[in-house]
Amino acid sequence: MQSLLSVLLRPRLLSTLQGIKPGKKKGNRWRIFIFIFIGAVFWLGAFIIFFRILNYFQSVEGFGDILALRLLSMIVITFFTLLLFSNIINSLSHLYLSRDLSLLHSLPVPAKDIFISRWLVSAFDSSWMVILFSFPVFLSYGMIYQAGAGFYFLSFAGMVFLCLIAAAISSILVMLGAVILPAGKIRSLFIVLGVALAILLVLVLRIIRPEQLVNPQTFASVVIYLNSLQALDAAYLPTTWISDVVSAALKGDWKFSLFSIALSASFAFSLIFINESIAKASYFRGFSRAQTTAKRLFYPVTLGNYNWDALLNFLSPAAKAFAVKEIKTFFRDSTQWPQLFLICALIVIYLYNFSVLPLEKSPVNIIYLQNVFSFLNMGLAAFVLSAIAARFVFPAVSMESEAFWIIQAAPVSIKTFLWIKFFLYYIPLLIVSEILIIVSNLLLGVAPFIMALSIITIFCLVPAIVAMAIGLGARYPDFKSENPAMAATSFGGLLFMLCSFALIAAVIIIEAGPVYYTFMADVHGRNLSLMHVVRLIASFSFAFLLCIFAVFYPMHIGEKHLSKT
Amino acid sequence: MIELINLTKDYGTVLAVNNLNLRVATGEIYGFIGPNGAGKTTTIRMMGGIIEPTSGKVIISGIDMKEDPLRAKKIIGFVPDRPFLYEKLTGMEFLKFIADIYEVETNIITPRAQELLEKFALTDWAHEIIEAYSHGMKQRLIIAAALMHDPRVLVIDEPMVGLDPAAVRMVKDMLKNLSRQNVTIFVSTHTLSIAEDLCDRIGVIHKGALLAQGSIAELNLAARTGNAGLEEVFLTLIREA
Ligand SMILES: Nc1ncnc2c1ncn2[C@@H]1O[C@H](COP(=O)(O)OP(=O)(O)OP(=O)(O)O)[C@@H](O)[C@H]1O
Ligand SMILES: [Mg+2]
Repeated sequence: MQSLLSVLLRPRLLSTLQGIKPGKKKGNRWRIFIFIFIGAVFWLGAFIIFFRILNYFQSVEGFGDILALRLLSMIVITFFTLLLFSNIINSLSHLYLSRDLSLLHSLPVPAKDIFISRWLVSAFDSSWMVILFSFPVFLSYGMIYQAGAGFYFLSFAGMVFLCLIAAAISSILVMLGAVILPAGKIRSLFIVLGVALAILLVLVLRIIRPEQLVNPQTFASVVIYLNSLQALDAAYLPTTWISDVVSAALKGDWKFSLFSIALSASFAFSLIFINESIAKASYFRGFSRAQTTAKRLFYPVTLGNYNWDALLNFLSPAAKAFAVKEIKTFFRDSTQWPQLFLICALIVIYLYNFSVLPLEKSPVNIIYLQNVFSFLNMGLAAFVLSAIAARFVFPAVSMESEAFWIIQAAPVSIKTFLWIKFFLYYIPLLIVSEILIIVSNLLLGVAPFIMALSIITIFCLVPAIVAMAIGLGARYPDFKSENPAMAATSFGGLLFMLCSFALIAAVIIIEAGPVYYTFMADVHGRNLSLMHVVRLIASFSFAFLLCIFAVFYPMHIGEKHLSKT
Repeated sequence: MIELINLTKDYGTVLAVNNLNLRVATGEIYGFIGPNGAGKTTTIRMMGGIIEPTSGKVIISGIDMKEDPLRAKKIIGFVPDRPFLYEKLTGMEFLKFIADIYEVETNIITPRAQELLEKFALTDWAHEIIEAYSHGMKQRLIIAAALMHDPRVLVIDEPMVGLDPAAVRMVKDMLKNLSRQNVTIFVSTHTLSIAEDLCDRIGVIHKGALLAQGSIAELNLAARTGNAGLEEVFLTLIREA
């Protein structure tokens, strides 16, 4: 039995090995280097941030430990939510949607073994990143509290069990969903899930109210606040056990730590056992039902004789055809939905946080602070935009997948093809980001000058980011991938993120100096000197040119590459 | 031996297979023909245990697919209609993977794989990743894989798609050979000439139901086409259905 499992896992292992086999492709070493580099930067960043936060907590008389432990349980809850989400998505595709499943199910292997091998892979895929990024957190706790090896070992074990529990709960939910939902609707689980998760995310963030941690001066309210959080530490929640494992180990209370880990372990193993029983009873049935092609979820709205695609009539027929195809494909792919909902949730949280920023409590001049925030907000919004672009725009070319030959064979140039893709994403993203920036600036109550500046900067940055995503997506396409959305984590995707971050940082830095002068002059009612006006114009023109370059050059590279293949 | 008893598959939107009854004797080659969307692939996927029938039974050499899927699958060699393979594995690795799944004895795996690769003219490609194979090469590899464990029943969905003439001849000869060794073969195809000279009996399916089955002579009788070829018989049966 054991060996059968290892055979089932072999294709995955061998494929991975082929992927990193050196010497096959020239750029391979570069790729690995960039992956490691980016990973290390994020890792270190996380470590530094946590270390500084914890250090700061220690300086808060009397409350340092409470705050640190509170932060710990917040982290564990966040990890758990993330794990649940990625596990549900991964197990749905690994267990029910992957292309190789019909091969596996034709083999003389018990459905239970297929389930377990898939479950392991999906749990691994969903967890490794969280585990990796839990290290800097625990490391900073360990260093601040001068914990020994036992602490690290127990925290690691705790994380592993947290992952197992999340994976087991997710697969139970997915398997039940596959049996309960009508055949052909299994993919709509994605949508149900997306909505549920978006709501959950908003709720969790509102319950734990992270901004309160920034404001420990008001001790009384902290105590009240901490009391209001008792619900999150209910003794029957697995997240509580894991927090207990770590915090008890931190304090050297080994007995309690070991007890908590035993509790988590036994829970994880019983869940896995339950999974196995459910899989035996219903996994194959669910899989067989999932084979039925989904009925369509939406039908286009028609108003009398008008079709929505009449809106695109200003395009040439070929361009319109592409645009219509693109829009239809996007909205019929239910795997896109949860991510859309998630983005909506993120935007709501983002804006909400601006409305609750405790600016008035700050000792610094409010006007100054508001506008500094607004300036940073511009950068932040652009970063959020890059993340969205990495997920949706970068894979746009790869999404053509095996059907790319149609475009190649069609009497439409690659250039037109790429520019259509560009505009399809540019317009909605521009609208979203302008709304984001205007609403957050209104919430902050910034000066008109800053407002205008943000609107114009975003207006220039959005096309640059979208063009880089399309262009680099065309330069590093993956037409063979089963899940083109994964392209975001490929080499090209990371390269795009790097370029995009670099551009945003460059624009912000170029603008910062002149903006500061202008703003201060504004506040003090002074006039700008000629020198400053020249500098202002020069730096803004430079930023503008940079954006123009970032629009056309990547598109050109992408076009050149695609025309060659 | 294959037995399908009252086999039905309802996709909700279409009744893809409707109360199908048929029997293929040991060592027989049974051809399954029918227009596009007739339900051939659906039937074959139920025989391979990839989808569950809505009702009815698939019995392979006396083993009910639903009761004991593992024992049933173990004696089947299954070739799907589209050659999906693990693109990142090499041909050899893929054959070994299949062999291990079917619990082929370890010491005969390598010689057997080499023999099959040789037979399917893939030896030169054995250590290339499958992504780089042409369509026909993938098709050959997947047929080779189905033979790794000496199946007693072969279920093949459109075996000749993408194969070159030499490979078509080779596969035909091989199937005849296997049938002489008492392997039961169920094959769906659109190439009527192949069905004609390969199959002992042919079943014509249309809209999920069996219109007629038997040897060419028997089919001619059913279609009242005298002494015509399979093409004529097929078109007549479909037209009149
Ligand atoms: N996954 C699915 N979901 C829903 N309906 C399906 C699915 N697969 C097939 N069908 C429907 O079942 C019927 C039979 O399809 P099937 O694939 O078995 O035909 P076929 O005889 O193999 O055709 P072809 O000769 O084109 O391969 C068709 O009406 C088809 O639309
Ligand atoms: Mg078919």
